[in-house]
Amino acid sequence: MELLTPGLGLIFWMTLSFGIVLLILRKFAWAPILGTIREREREIAISLRNAQHIKRELQELEVLKKQKVADAEKQHQEILIKAKTEAENLLREARIKASDDAHQLLENARKAIDVQRKSAMLEIKQQIANLSVDMAEKVLQEEFSDKDKNTRFVNGELEKVILN
Amino acid sequence: MHIKGKMRDILKNLFFAAIGCGIIFNVNPLYADEQEFLETDTVPPPSLTEYAETAAKEPGFDAGKVIIDHILDAYDWHLFDIGPKEISLPLPVILFYEGRFYFFLSSRFDHGHEAYKGFRIAHEGPRKNRIIRVLDDGKTPDPEASFVLDLSITKNVLSIFIGATLLCLIFVGIGKKYKHQGSRAVPSGLQSFLEPLVLFVRDEIALSAIGPKHYERFLPYLLSLFFFIFLNNILGLVPFFPGGANVTGNISVTLVLAMFTFLTTQLFANKGYWQHIFNTPGVPWWLKLPIPLMPMIELVGVIIKPFVLMIRLFANITAGHMIILGFVSLIFVLGEVSNAFGMAISPLSLVFLVFMGFLELLVAFLQAYVFTLFSALFFGMAVPEEHH
Repeated sequence: MELLTPGLGLIFWMTLSFGIVLLILRKFAWAPILGTIREREREIAISLRNAQHIKRELQELEVLKKQKVADAEKQHQEILIKAKTEAENLLREARIKASDDAHQLLENARKAIDVQRKSAMLEIKQQIANLSVDMAEKVLQEEFSDKDKNTRFVNGELEKVILN
Repeated sequence: MHIKGKMRDILKNLFFAAIGCGIIFNVNPLYADEQEFLETDTVPPPSLTEYAETAAKEPGFDAGKVIIDHILDAYDWHLFDIGPKEISLPLPVILFYEGRFYFFLSSRFDHGHEAYKGFRIAHEGPRKNRIIRVLDDGKTPDPEASFVLDLSITKNVLSIFIGATLLCLIFVGIGKKYKHQGSRAVPSGLQSFLEPLVLFVRDEIALSAIGPKHYERFLPYLLSLFFFIFLNNILGLVPFFPGGANVTGNISVTLVLAMFTFLTTQLFANKGYWQHIFNTPGVPWWLKLPIPLMPMIELVGVIIKPFVLMIRLFANITAGHMIILGFVSLIFVLGEVSNAFGMAISPLSLVFLVFMGFLELLVAFLQAYVFTLFSALFFGMAVPEEHH
């Protein structure tokens, strides 16, 4: 068979086999292969888009999170400061109240002591007066005879007592 | 396009170089033998053609014959030689002659030496190396014989069957895998080698040459075409059975491939394509009327396009086979002159063979790519998108 002249038999068999190959591959190879590749590409495209979406959402969330954390931090600080001041206030009030109470107590005590002392004084005065009267009575009874002398004495004594 | 053009130039040069090699190897041993012949014999030297016939019968290495025998189709598949004995696979001969079918194995022809049932492989004439009807003496061609339709399973036909079967097995298997695993699976094994090629054909050839609107219609054909040519190119480079046949370097095969492309182009062509041929836009009217010069040129172009496809693939692959066989033959040609010569040249030949092997692998891919790309370009022209 010469180089440049086509042979009928070969053309016939080639057409037949290539035609069959075309049909078989079209149905059983290219359809599933191309279909799957296309499906995969579609999925990849969707996944990429989703990933971008998620990334953006994450970024938003991150911003939100940071904001939340900052808020919380601020709140926390505020609460701390507030608590501190409150504690200080409380302490100061307590201290003030305590000292007030102490003052009050002291005052009361002093007043009570005063009253006691005054009443004691009064009693002592009473006692002294009674005693004096008793003594005077006894002296009078004893010394009544010497009237002048007694009188002078009484007067002099009384004078002393009153002066004391 | 620039690099592609350059590659084509290189390949063209290689083709001519290969033809040159063939001629040189064809002449050299003859010349060497002729010297010997002149020394030993006093008979006047015969003419070159006369001598060629006698040389063919004599034992000895004829590189030209080896190369041409390989390039051409054959009725049996030559496997190897054991001493003087040729071991070859006989293939079925199928003939249709005068309303009758004839089936027999090609071993009946005894490598073309014998006639069988009035048929014989012609040794000369316009139907050289093809089966002709002979007279009862088993030698003379029958002058009154009508046409012999030869549907034999020749070496190339068997090789096509093997290639086609392999192609179907590979891709139907992979198709099943895709279907079975679904779109979530990572490609593995052969699949991961072929998927980039599939994507290459789809994106770089079909999509870029035809456009996004129509490319999917042509994709199955383009993929089949690409892998058919690629696989058969590769099989042709395998030096032993079942490879080694020169399938894609056979003009009948490339003719059929080009015909498929041609018919597909015409069948899918839309209005824009025919308008471009018969009423080319942007061309002055006097080129169309009264003598339809442009339509004629365009119509010729329609035929020439697939014709060029046919020639390009055929020439490139044939040239590659010729060069490789040329380097192999070089060892034996020089070895016949003297053993030392053959020994000396074999490392050099081997280096060139390895280099050519790699180049041919590149060409195997490149030619599959070019054939498919041009087919895609013609389809792209057949379905132009209306944007004039």
